Amino acid sequence: MLRFATVAIVIALSAQAHAAEFDWRKHEGETITLLKSNHPWPKAVLAYQDEFEKLTGIKLKLDTYQEQQMRQRLVTVLNSRSNEIDIYMSLPSREGPQFAKAGWYADLAPYLKSAPAEYEAGDLSKALMGAATFDGLVSTIPLNIEGPVMYYRTDVMKECGVDVPDSLEAMVDAAKALKECKPDMVPFSSRGLKPAMPYTYSVFFHNMGGQYVTSGKSTFCSDAGVKALSLYGDLLRDYGPPGVVNNSYTQITALYRAGRSIMSFGSSNEFGPVMEGGARLNDTKIDLLPPGAGGSRPTVIGWGIAISAFSDKKDAAWYFVQWATSPEMQARLALKGLAPPRSNVASTPEYKAWLEEVPLRKEWFDTIKRAAATGNSNIGFPIVANPQSREYIGQAANETMLGEKSAADACKAADVELQRLVDADG
Amino acid sequence: MRRGFLLLCAPAVLFTLVMIAFPFGYGFWMSLQKFDFTGAPQFIGSANYLRLMDDPRFWTGMRVTILLYVISLVSQLIIGTYLAVLLHSSKGLRNLVRTVIISPFIMPPVVVGMTWLVLLDPSIGAANYVLTKVGLPPSEWLASPQWVVPTIAMIDTWQWSPYIALIVLGGLQSLPVSVYEAAQIDGAPRRAVFWRITLPLLMPTIATAAILRSVDLLRFFDIIYITTQGGPGNASATLNIYGFRMGFEFFEFGYASALVITLSTVVLGSVLALTRLRNAVTW
Repeated sequence: MLRFATVAIVIALSAQAHAAEFDWRKHEGETITLLKSNHPWPKAVLAYQDEFEKLTGIKLKLDTYQEQQMRQRLVTVLNSRSNEIDIYMSLPSREGPQFAKAGWYADLAPYLKSAPAEYEAGDLSKALMGAATFDGLVSTIPLNIEGPVMYYRTDVMKECGVDVPDSLEAMVDAAKALKECKPDMVPFSSRGLKPAMPYTYSVFFHNMGGQYVTSGKSTFCSDAGVKALSLYGDLLRDYGPPGVVNNSYTQITALYRAGRSIMSFGSSNEFGPVMEGGARLNDTKIDLLPPGAGGSRPTVIGWGIAISAFSDKKDAAWYFVQWATSPEMQARLALKGLAPPRSNVASTPEYKAWLEEVPLRKEWFDTIKRAAATGNSNIGFPIVANPQSREYIGQAANETMLGEKSAADACKAADVELQRLVDADG
Repeated sequence: MRRGFLLLCAPAVLFTLVMIAFPFGYGFWMSLQKFDFTGAPQFIGSANYLRLMDDPRFWTGMRVTILLYVISLVSQLIIGTYLAVLLHSSKGLRNLVRTVIISPFIMPPVVVGMTWLVLLDPSIGAANYVLTKVGLPPSEWLASPQWVVPTIAMIDTWQWSPYIALIVLGGLQSLPVSVYEAAQIDGAPRRAVFWRITLPLLMPTIATAAILRSVDLLRFFDIIYITTQGGPGNASATLNIYGFRMGFEFFEFGYASALVITLSTVVLGSVLALTRLRNAVTW
């Protein structure tokens, strides 16, 4: 509640921000460092790096890693309270509570408050801003909006006489029929790699009616939880690609793009790479995961950009943040396939025309909008040790997928560790 | 004189102490704390070490570390020695072949890991294509809990056997010729010459190579991290991988330090044991 109240106050105040000409040259001559991952956002925004440097006179230094390695570098830098990183990418749904508790985020609320009117701070997704606010501290500004979505090969399904499943349970029947019809193709693919799979598994879990924590107790192994684990494990073991336990988004994207999988549960963010080459543009349907006993409860998250609490150049760093997350920039990035976290951007004529240009783009964006309207950001347990909770969820799913344990036994073993984390969280 | 000698040695001794003793001492101090960076370190005595004893993942890590160590070291010593003997006997090609065989171990681990990851991909990899072409069933390689350790050992053996071969080749070239002449005069068969002369004389060299590889193998990290990150499940999670993940992914620095100090103790103990073995086989 406090979180939403804070966001509302910040947005209200920012709306009154003075409309005086913004002095972009105030920090001319300064150098700031951005720590970034190989996510599509930095690739897209940094195509305009020259514009930022010309506009502000600020020099932007880049430090680039794979996502996991970026976090390891962050931990080293921030734990030593070093000022060598000024701005960094962060996923509030994952490390937000941990980083906020450690005091690693600079509070962006004052910057939002003093941002010029044309920044339209009030248009930033309230849900994502809320998810990025911890005890009143605004940790990040959202860069995009994304979540897991289903990619269906409609041509193959039609040929096999299989309808798009309308429930989680119907997915097994569909996968079975597809396996019989097309034995050389992969009926269903999704993430199996332990640290990566909670992103996709959480939608199965929530749709089945699961909830990770109830009144301070882990409910990972509720009836719904065991059913979800069993379904996810069975689908990938019996109908998934060989070696699925090592699969993350790269393998899933490659398989689907190459026309080797029929039903693929991947990130909406992979829309561009999946459609690369155009082979899948006319034979794909994009939708949310079918509902289960708990209805449809999709996952929706957004990467954010943060300023380090230890930066000596927070004001100059904010200039980059403001420039990179401005409505103008987000409108340009939207045309490169990054779903915008601003409703005004999504409703510009240019973006609408871009969506209408290819029917599948519109279907993709409508699916994200539905996820944003009804979804949650609970990937793993809503505790400070969220990354560790993902590890135990992944372990249970791996054991089920590999057939090493039944879903109930795998769940029980993980639940002991998960409860320990919940207890430690207080 | 003695004072001057001590003064001259002091900078080197001090540097060594700072570079070795300080990180080890700091790691040990950290292993006695509860520290997850969300608060100040809190002294908890031996609690992290006691937790190790009850942690099934620690024991899995220990088992995987030892299994990987034994399979890799034995394979590399056998193949490396065999390669060295081959190179030693085919003098004409030695320089050319030597240049070719060092290429695996000068390749960066990331390149090696990514290359094998693609080759061994169960869906699109060349390895399964070859297997099915010769009528064998495809394998899941790095995705199989049963095969992941032998597969990683195979990759490491591919990369490091040539290194052993070069060391052993150096040893072969320095063996005394008189022993071989005496064997020739006595009419000893080639097989007996290898088993009774060459191999015993090479043992100090092989032991040295074993010590060098042992240090690397016991703290094996890069190829595993690139190919499986310790999976599937925890089937390839060595102590080093487990310690790294505890520290840098889950931020339990105290517990991660206890894991790493334990691993360092295992490495030091093994090196001491192997050094004694080498001294025992020195001629």
